[in-house]
Amino acid sequence: MDKFDDLSLAAYVDAAAYLLQLPIAAGHLPGVRENFARIAALAALFVDAPLELHDEPAPVFRPGPPA
Amino acid sequence: MKSARSIAAEVRSGRRSARSIIAQTLADIHQNNPAINAFTARLDDQAERDAAAIDAAVDSGRDPGPLAGVPFAVKNLFDIAGVTTLAGARIYADCPPAAQDATVVRRLKEHGAVLVGALNMDAYAYGFTTENTHYGATRNPHDLARSAGGSSGGSGAAVAAGLVPLTLGSDTNGSIRVPASLCGIFGLKATFGRVSRAGSVPFVPDLDHVGPLATCTDDLALAYDAIAGPDARDPTCSTRSAPPLTPELAAGTAGLRIAVAAGYFERPLAPVARAAVGDAVSARDIRRRIELPHADHARAAAFMLTAIAAGSLYLPALRTRAGDFEPLSRDRLLAGALIPAAWVHAAQRFRRWYHDRVLALFDLVDAIIAPATPCSAPALGAETMSIDGATMAVRPNLGMFTQPISFIGLPVAAVPIECGSALPIGIQIIAAPWREDICLRVAAELERRGIARARIG
Repeated sequence: MDKFDDLSLAAYVDAAAYLLQLPIAAGHLPGVRENFARIAALAALFVDAPLELHDEPAPVFRPGPPA
Repeated sequence: MKSARSIAAEVRSGRRSARSIIAQTLADIHQNNPAINAFTARLDDQAERDAAAIDAAVDSGRDPGPLAGVPFAVKNLFDIAGVTTLAGARIYADCPPAAQDATVVRRLKEHGAVLVGALNMDAYAYGFTTENTHYGATRNPHDLARSAGGSSGGSGAAVAAGLVPLTLGSDTNGSIRVPASLCGIFGLKATFGRVSRAGSVPFVPDLDHVGPLATCTDDLALAYDAIAGPDARDPTCSTRSAPPLTPELAAGTAGLRIAVAAGYFERPLAPVARAAVGDAVSARDIRRRIELPHADHARAAAFMLTAIAAGSLYLPALRTRAGDFEPLSRDRLLAGALIPAAWVHAAQRFRRWYHDRVLALFDLVDAIIAPATPCSAPALGAETMSIDGATMAVRPNLGMFTQPISFIGLPVAAVPIECGSALPIGIQIIAAPWREDICLRVAAELERRGIARARIG
């Protein structure tokens, strides 16, 4: 993933918050943007990891009561 | 404060009454808790009644349990019947009291232990410093200007101050191991699924663990033996039986292959943290170094999965009452709720990849020694710290060495190393899934050699 620019991140935060019907107070917005930028930088470390088609997600759902 | 084992031995033999133990404990808490702010609720009347019941059992020749008369307290995210479960958060303050005890609380009581109170924590368990705006910071008993670690900071401080010999905490990214390290006590985060979380407030359901903090490995084993094992109330709790650890402690470490974690785990380390790992390594003449592949990515993925799980969990309340949230974590929760699903899926696929490769390392070694925290306790209120020439934020980075381990559910003992420093510090002893016995055998060996020792009072 390329490095994100601040304006695009801010636009994403606004749009995602709108979709989730999550009002973010003006006083909280700088902190939310800063935290989202930190998360995005961390995500960049692993989202492009060269995984194979059959590399499965960690959680496994098992129907029925415990064996 | 005596160990849980010695208290139980005295009570079981009739040499001392549980009532006198509890009376002394309640008096100590009354006198010494205000300085450290570890307790958020006290259960004096209930504790006195429960102690009397233990004494009655002893007097009538009934078995009062292996933890008879042992005072204990729990992080306030565990349900205690009749008490409102706070999880460190004001948004829960008006909730009705819990109807029943959490499974682990009930099991400790059934083994004879006596619950004396609930303990402070970072709100929602989202933090490593127990700086809680609404309930006050918990202070480190070894230096009141410093953090006790978190998020189970009250659980660490109450033991380190000698107020109780045993507490319960929870650990999603390091929340037992960080306070154990900064307070200079022992902690055990068992394999994911080994100990029931039923009746505890969830934080990240596929990363949450619960476990004990104590002054010695003996007491960790006693507590684990009481609380571990299947529980139908928790869908993530394994159906495997949990063999008791207490008989394993004397087994020593002969034949165990032990390595020290290399690469990611070698910096940044303050001199005291480096010395602690060095002392443990020297004690066993450990020469093998082993690298966990992409531990930095694991830490990043754990950080992100935590943010999305917690942000999603609290989304309804964030919509309507964000102003009531803990200011230190509110913006991280809001940001976490916005994380795109593709990143989450990538993190969970990477998690499996990382899990499989770390597990392969346990074909080569039985235990891995790693630092628990990059430094000893930071000052309360500190925003940044400088370690190894790097300046970094305090609050997220205290858990940088614990997160890549809990991310894949490995069992870990946090062990305080007596390296002569002004402030205590601990290390992690990590083993393959379901091998808590190895973690505690290595811890007990370090304890016998005088390398590991809790710092109390």
